[in-house]
Amino acid sequence: MSVQLGMAIDLKRCVGCHTCAVACKIENNLPDGNWWNRTTTEGGDAQDTPSGVYPNLKREYITLACQHCANPACVRACPVGATYKREEDGVVFQDYEKCIGCRMCIAACPYTGVRQYNWEEPKHAMDYAVGDADVPAHQKHTVEKCTLCAHRLARGEEPACINACPADARHFGDLHDLTSEVAQLIVQREYRQLLTDKGTEPSIYYLV
Amino acid sequence: MTAQTAQSQAAPPSAAPEHRSKGQLIALIIAAVVALGGIALWVFQLAGGMVNTNMRNLDSWGIYIIFFMLFVGLSAGGLIISSVPKVFGIKGFGGISKIAVWVSICCTVLAVAFVVVDLGGPLRVWELFAYANLTSPLMWDIIVLTIYLIISIIYLWATLRAESGRSTAAALRVLSAIALLCAVLVHTVTAWIFGLQISHEFWYTALLGPWFVSSALLSGLALVLIVVVVLNRTGYLSLGQENLIKMARLLGVFTAVDLYFFGCDLLTSGFPGGQGGETVTLLTTGPLAGYFWAEVIFGIITMIIAFVPSLRKTSLILVASVLSVLAILCKRIQLLIGGFQIPNLDFASLSTGPDLSSGGQAFSSLGGSLIYFPSPLELGVVIGVLGLGVFLLLLGLRLLPLKPITRTTSDTADRD
Ligand code: SF4
Ligand code: SF4
Ligand code: SF4
Repeated sequence: MSVQLGMAIDLKRCVGCHTCAVACKIENNLPDGNWWNRTTTEGGDAQDTPSGVYPNLKREYITLACQHCANPACVRACPVGATYKREEDGVVFQDYEKCIGCRMCIAACPYTGVRQYNWEEPKHAMDYAVGDADVPAHQKHTVEKCTLCAHRLARGEEPACINACPADARHFGDLHDLTSEVAQLIVQREYRQLLTDKGTEPSIYYLV
Repeated sequence: MTAQTAQSQAAPPSAAPEHRSKGQLIALIIAAVVALGGIALWVFQLAGGMVNTNMRNLDSWGIYIIFFMLFVGLSAGGLIISSVPKVFGIKGFGGISKIAVWVSICCTVLAVAFVVVDLGGPLRVWELFAYANLTSPLMWDIIVLTIYLIISIIYLWATLRAESGRSTAAALRVLSAIALLCAVLVHTVTAWIFGLQISHEFWYTALLGPWFVSSALLSGLALVLIVVVVLNRTGYLSLGQENLIKMARLLGVFTAVDLYFFGCDLLTSGFPGGQGGETVTLLTTGPLAGYFWAEVIFGIITMIIAFVPSLRKTSLILVASVLSVLAILCKRIQLLIGGFQIPNLDFASLSTGPDLSSGGQAFSSLGGSLIYFPSPLELGVVIGVLGLGVFLLLLGLRLLPLKPITRTTSDTADRD
């Protein structure tokens, strides 16, 4: 059976500390303004505010990155195939060399803000590159997004955001391999997925 | 530079139109200067980065794509006005066929130009041919648009040949049919760039294809009317009033169809409530209400002018035509911005986070509530591209034999 890499993110454990977002930012040497992974408050009006009416308040967090959809809307829309689904592991990958910057994929992806365009020559807060040496250089006027840390996968490692999580809320693996940790978690726990009505079949599961 | 080219290329005597006023030459030069200014701004946008536009990740298309949609639509009118009478063997509109097709060609070129200025990597466009991904509606549109442009040019050329007796009416009729088919296809496929995206509730509707065709007919015919009225005034054409009235009536019909589609779409979105209901609120009372009501009111005025016989005066027909083009521009603004305005995931740090829609934030600090409003640079580039359009139009009028052969108002010239 084909491989589909994905994640199970335990929202009961997530404390909203942004560590995964920062780990991603550093690992991938992301330009200023780009966050391939975001930790965001769910329900509240603004970041770090609760939902509900006092005294029945809840403060909940969720992290959002590309969902590496089994049926990705972005791949179908790209006119030059600069974004494509890898046969071998189901990762939706992005080829900066090919991207013509038409932003059709951003319009096509239902998941708000996961695809990000470099609106100018990539700038970095630090004047030296950070993160992994195998990360491809960021390019002006191309679209980028979470690659599931493809450079780490190539070496047999897990994505950077998985190990970084201090609450151990993030799990990674092959969803199609029923013995894998993620597949087991999805079987054992209740979960939800984002925007299932759009038919994209996301590979990120949120355990609730 | 432009003036010289115009002069030197005007040499072939057979193709030389008699009408060549000084005013037209000055207009041509001004248009060329505006176009060059636009190109300079575009180069600046590429070098300095598209951060100088107000587009951001949550509103990743803007005024360029709005005008792209508008101009694909505008290009319809001319081709349809001139090909429909030939295909169905009915009375034409009095010898304006060639000018109408030239207007079409100019609009198609502008539509392509608006896509090009929107691209981040225009130097990579060759990839569209090398790595064409045939599941992409954008790719389909590029293919169809290219074919459409080529067919329009062949069609104009064939019309000119037919007039000088070097081609048969039958051949022209076949070509008219192909051109007409292409015109319908190009609008439908442009609609599919949006209409097939399940990501945005506002766009995802099967109606979008036919609706783009009706909007294209409306705005395209309106543009032909504007050009004809202006050329009538300057003496280049002398089209009889009965032809203007015929076209004005048609304009009214197209407006009615377009508004009917709008009504159907609003009801379908609004009836079940939910996100569709949000869309209706967004249009009727929300941030896009100005554009929505402008479109509706312009449409009603157009219909009144078109259907009340005593109002069908040249000046009012011109007003109705201008309002029709503006109405469709309002429609395109609603469609594009409206699609981005309602995020699918309403998480706190998505809508308020940095760099996601700072253009919109800039606008909201001015008191607006739209996610997007063009930056001065974008407006400058748009004006530049429009200048290019005027330049092409005038150049065609100067260099190509586009005038009707007979200066009478009879329809025979167009029947071929
Ligand atoms: S989340 Fe969006 S960008 Fe990622 S694979 Fe799915 S459709 Fe593509
Ligand atoms: S912006 Fe790049 S990746 Fe996205 S659709 Fe266009 S070419 Fe493809
Ligand atoms: S998998 Fe890698 S690229 Fe994707 S969010 Fe995690 S750290 Fe970032």
